[in-house]
Amino acid sequence: MGFRVGIIGAGTMGQVHSRAWRRMPDIELIGVYDIDATRASRIAADSGVTAFSSFEELVNTVDIVDVCVPTPFHAEYAIFALEADKDVVCEKPMGRTLEECDRMIAAAEASGKTLMPAQVLRFFPEFQSTHDLIRKGAIGAPAVVRTHRGGGFPRGVNNWFADFAQSGGVSLDILIHDFDWLRWTLGDVERVYAKTRHTDGIHEDDYVLATLRFKSGAIAHVEGTWMDAAGYYTSIEAAGDNGLIHYDSRETAPLRVARRRHDSSSGAGIHSESPVSADPYYLELRHFVDCLTVGVAPMITPEDGRAAVAIGLAALESSRIAKSVSL
Amino acid sequence: MSRKNEKDKTLSVRIGILSFAHMHAASYAGSLPHIPGATLVGIADEDRDRATRMATQFGTTAYPSYEALLADVDAVVICSENVHHRRLTELAAKAQKHVLCEKPLATTLEDADAMIAICAENGVKLFTAFPCRFHPAYKRLKAATQEGAIGQIIGANTTNQGQCPGGWFIDKKMSGGGAAIDHTVHVTDLLRDMMGAEPVEVYAELTNGMAHSDYDDCALITITFDNGVFATLDASWSRPKSFWTWGNVKIALTGTEGVASMDMFAQNHVVFSDVAERPSLHNWGDNMDLEMIQAFVDAVAGTQDLNAPVSLATGEDGRAAARVALAAYRAAETGQPVTL
Repeated sequence: MGFRVGIIGAGTMGQVHSRAWRRMPDIELIGVYDIDATRASRIAADSGVTAFSSFEELVNTVDIVDVCVPTPFHAEYAIFALEADKDVVCEKPMGRTLEECDRMIAAAEASGKTLMPAQVLRFFPEFQSTHDLIRKGAIGAPAVVRTHRGGGFPRGVNNWFADFAQSGGVSLDILIHDFDWLRWTLGDVERVYAKTRHTDGIHEDDYVLATLRFKSGAIAHVEGTWMDAAGYYTSIEAAGDNGLIHYDSRETAPLRVARRRHDSSSGAGIHSESPVSADPYYLELRHFVDCLTVGVAPMITPEDGRAAVAIGLAALESSRIAKSVSL
Repeated sequence: MSRKNEKDKTLSVRIGILSFAHMHAASYAGSLPHIPGATLVGIADEDRDRATRMATQFGTTAYPSYEALLADVDAVVICSENVHHRRLTELAAKAQKHVLCEKPLATTLEDADAMIAICAENGVKLFTAFPCRFHPAYKRLKAATQEGAIGQIIGANTTNQGQCPGGWFIDKKMSGGGAAIDHTVHVTDLLRDMMGAEPVEVYAELTNGMAHSDYDDCALITITFDNGVFATLDASWSRPKSFWTWGNVKIALTGTEGVASMDMFAQNHVVFSDVAERPSLHNWGDNMDLEMIQAFVDAVAGTQDLNAPVSLATGEDGRAAARVALAAYRAAETGQPVTL
């Protein structure tokens, strides 16, 4: 028995997800809906699936709805699908506000269907491995952890990332990954104090330094940026009472290809890759399907999705009022 | 005041070291033979055995008391436990000798103010030992930012992480605190020097998560400056015993036009030794202590280069950095930022 999947949102994540769905033998990717019909048609043509002109029709045709639209639209599509008795995987951050998250959680509970926030970082091998090592005691009890995520500014559909009302800036859009990973690894957050370049408005130059205190007594420093001209990288350093783990994506790429230029321009086209055989986006969606098949809850719950959003919103609030915010 | 050598008319600045409690004293003592025009006259230490051992090691004289050594020098470097900085500075000032004092300048602002005042009253100079100012990597970072390489600075992500030094450093009666009082001050001083800005607000999360004892060993501090820049500073003693080096000083700046990151002690060989059975980092970079002591000697002799890109941190600079560390403790108690 296979599941029929429909994707709402044909932007970047919709395209990434569609490639993953199509690799699954027990999944039939039925179609895609996008508010922009041209965008929907492009992905439909690439994938050999239907471009739906109505999201209601798409939802009614499938078993699983994959919500890949910009953040402020997650709640309405996810809730509609849950109320139509469908299982839902929803891109991160789960909602733009806690109120939206609460309505999504309520809709999932009322429908008895599965709602999984797509916190894909947990499926990246380096982040899963660091999590496992820490949980198994490699550094003893975690004491102080540092993370970095970011690079230049990401271009999205209609440049929506720059609109804080939609994306929440760096605090919500990219640091949601680190906030979820830290919570998964160190437990619930007690207090947040953050400095952010912006808290609202339309900006491409966001930069965030956040300090978290966990109920366990561990503390963490989180850096997020859209202003790093040197390029995107991630890093973790976790120090505990019995050791330290270090990871930096700039140090671990096994493949680097640099092309000689025969013209007068300086510099090379340098391409770096850190290839792994299992794509994290595939693993994440695979986990969702396996859980549905077996009838268990996914490892990422709607409450996890809400908790990560709460940390991101607390960072913005802390920066706005210049005080620490308790959760 | 220095003694002219009548034979060749060279000025020789006579330096003494008061206490070897702080391990940096060994580096300062080791620097002096390399500084022409300066002499290490002797060491005085309340730990008489340590005074004798160190005097032997550095080929100098162990004096029986601080007062006796002060009588024979032009200036002293104070390397005692933090809580004794004030008393030894007062002794030196009353003896009319210039002072270079280890960091933190003092464990209370009251002590810092007293030290600054007594040196001023006695017409002697008071400097704070912040050698990082003299490292070429910092000098280049400072020059780059002043040239506008990254535009206007927005934020700074900084660390001065280390291993727990143990000993009197973790005896709060001697040290005045734990990691925060030890490792907040260097980078605070660098940021003040680099930007010419003053801290106005401090927040801190302090825990004892490494050793679970009565002192802070994990410290995540946030400093907001009067030029709008926000900086975080990880002052934790979070390098484990098994780590391959003592720690680091890092400053990563984000500006409107770019980013600049400095890892001061990156110039390392990785050494794998089957004798030690563990890897270690061996630094081949510049000796910033030597340059700082040279600057102190020049200041005492009155021959310092007033146009140099960096200069010795003053007593006021030491007070300003200590003020941030002390504010971190207040902020940690309340869980809210403290306005300076």
